[in-house]
Amino acid sequence: MTSVLLIEDDDRIRLSLSLALEDEGYTAHAVATAEDGLAEQRRVGAETVLVDLMLPGMDGFECIRRLRRDDDVPIVVISARDDTHDIVAALEAGADDYLVKPVAVKELAARLRALRRRGRAPASAAPAMRTLAFGDLELRPEAGEVRLHGDQVRVTRTEFRLLCELADHPGQVLSRQQLLQRVWGYEIGDERLVDVHVGRLRHKIEDVPGTPRHLVTVRGLGYKLQP
Amino acid sequence: MRRAGLRTRVSAAFAVGALALSVCVTVVSYELTRSTLFRERERTAVRAAYFDAALVDASLSGGATNVADVLGSLDAGGDRYVLIQRAGRWYSRSADTDTHAAVPPGLREMAAGGVAAAQRIRRDGAPALVIAVPLDGDTVFYEIVAQRELERTLQVLALALAAVAIMMAAGGAAVGWYVTRHALRPLGAVADAARGIADGDLATRLDPDTEPDLAALAASFNHMADELDRRMRRDRRFAADVSHELRSPLQTLAAAVSVVDRRRDGLDERSAAAVGLIVAEVNRFQELVGDLLELARGDQPVTREPVDIAELVTRVVRAHGLDPGIVEAGDPGQWRVDARRVEQTLGNLLENATRYGGGPTAVRVGKGFLEVDDAGPGVPEELRATIFDRFVRGPAAGARGTGDGTGLGLAIVAEHAAAHGGTASVRERPGGGARFRVELP
Repeated sequence: MTSVLLIEDDDRIRLSLSLALEDEGYTAHAVATAEDGLAEQRRVGAETVLVDLMLPGMDGFECIRRLRRDDDVPIVVISARDDTHDIVAALEAGADDYLVKPVAVKELAARLRALRRRGRAPASAAPAMRTLAFGDLELRPEAGEVRLHGDQVRVTRTEFRLLCELADHPGQVLSRQQLLQRVWGYEIGDERLVDVHVGRLRHKIEDVPGTPRHLVTVRGLGYKLQP
Repeated sequence: MRRAGLRTRVSAAFAVGALALSVCVTVVSYELTRSTLFRERERTAVRAAYFDAALVDASLSGGATNVADVLGSLDAGGDRYVLIQRAGRWYSRSADTDTHAAVPPGLREMAAGGVAAAQRIRRDGAPALVIAVPLDGDTVFYEIVAQRELERTLQVLALALAAVAIMMAAGGAAVGWYVTRHALRPLGAVADAARGIADGDLATRLDPDTEPDLAALAASFNHMADELDRRMRRDRRFAADVSHELRSPLQTLAAAVSVVDRRRDGLDERSAAAVGLIVAEVNRFQELVGDLLELARGDQPVTREPVDIAELVTRVVRAHGLDPGIVEAGDPGQWRVDARRVEQTLGNLLENATRYGGGPTAVRVGKGFLEVDDAGPGVPEELRATIFDRFVRGPAAGARGTGDGTGLGLAIVAEHAAAHGGTASVRERPGGGARFRVELP
């Protein structure tokens, strides 16, 4: 049984979402504050975290940052706020996906399934471990490893999936929509998800994130990975 | 009838004013000149007549008997006719013996009474002066002075003055036209500003310092614009706030309803039916809040970026569970548009076609346009203008069936089109059904 941590200050939403998530086959751990959420996550180590942005005390953004510090657990924001500023800020803090209230339970379940697929190693995990090299950047898809100048780099599961997707098509441009579909499972989705994740990745795998050498933007088309 | 423009009216007023003024000046100066000239001429003529009369008197009293000879001795030009009435008989110098007929009877009587007099008459269509000087012994000396030359001078003067009057009127009109052009220039700025506001640029303001005379107009215009801006912001914020506040309870409802919905099979028939209703209405409620927020956000600027439009259309069609084979892509190339808004525009058109039009039959995309055809009854002529308004539903929605939409889908389509500076319209599809068309520049 997979477990989900729900951090939501509205009692009714917390209760109803817990019930709905349990119906979908998840074990729901529900807390009302970010502080409790961080403690609960350390205790139970849920596979996915759902977090509201407007929380009493520590806000959602800070909560995401702290969760990210210890963990590559997938984090999904569920918020009533939908302006670009909040969405980008939450994604930059480290969230993997962003849903605006009210979220249909079916939609939420679909997003959680997509995150789990991302987390799992590809089915074709053969004993022969591939190593994809892009200059000083090395990628081992089966081992879930990224190395820059030989040092291991910590990336989240979503960032890793994104990197693998680009690495599978070396030198080829993938559009934001293609990446949204292949990494997040969205047929129609928010391209800011891709942009912010690319930005986060660049801070980890580029020597100078402002002028990327490996993960480059092709104006009007998308992104590509190159040595 | 359309009223003449301000500029035309001001110019006309200038012209009429100039004409009236010049006519006054002309008439006065003409009259003054005429009377002065006449008086001068008359005085000269009278003096000449007295001189002639004295000569005739001297000749006659000196014993001359042939009156005609006496008259012939007078130095008279072509414009002067001298006559003598003596004992009821008329003597004249020339052959025209009828000349005396021109002497008015009143003058004759006065002369017969021994009074020297002069009278203006018209002779042969020209003004003339008849001067009567009674002489000794039943003799009256008459002199008729034709003033043909004077008349001609006055005619030339009148013509010249009339020409001057007309020129002054034309000059007045020209000055009016020129002056109003300058006077109306600040109003042109007002018109531009008003057009800017109508086009959605609510930040347009007039500078009250540029035209001191129009400062009051500029101030009230700016006040109006401020007020409009404030109200529109307030309305939008209200819509956004309301929708926002609805989100939390809706989230609870959505989650709770899904829990009940899962167990519908275990419920009795009546409860299951009621749960079905709640589920459907919560869904619609969610859509409504989403659409309201979208409309409230509609005034935000468009973030344009290059979009592979054919790919976008195919993707949206597939996401709506439709066969991508209905897409007919010409050669639309790349569009510089807000991808999210275009996705939603097409999505709403597809939903509209599904809900009210029996499903989309074709999705066409070409240079700057997007069309969705459906197999429905079409949109009646009288509904085509209002169908893009909020909460207007298709003819099928008169009786609200199941799966009815929010009534905001097409309003959002129109708003997205307008945000791009484009248009949304509907027409008859050849062969029945409706054809919705969105043009994005």
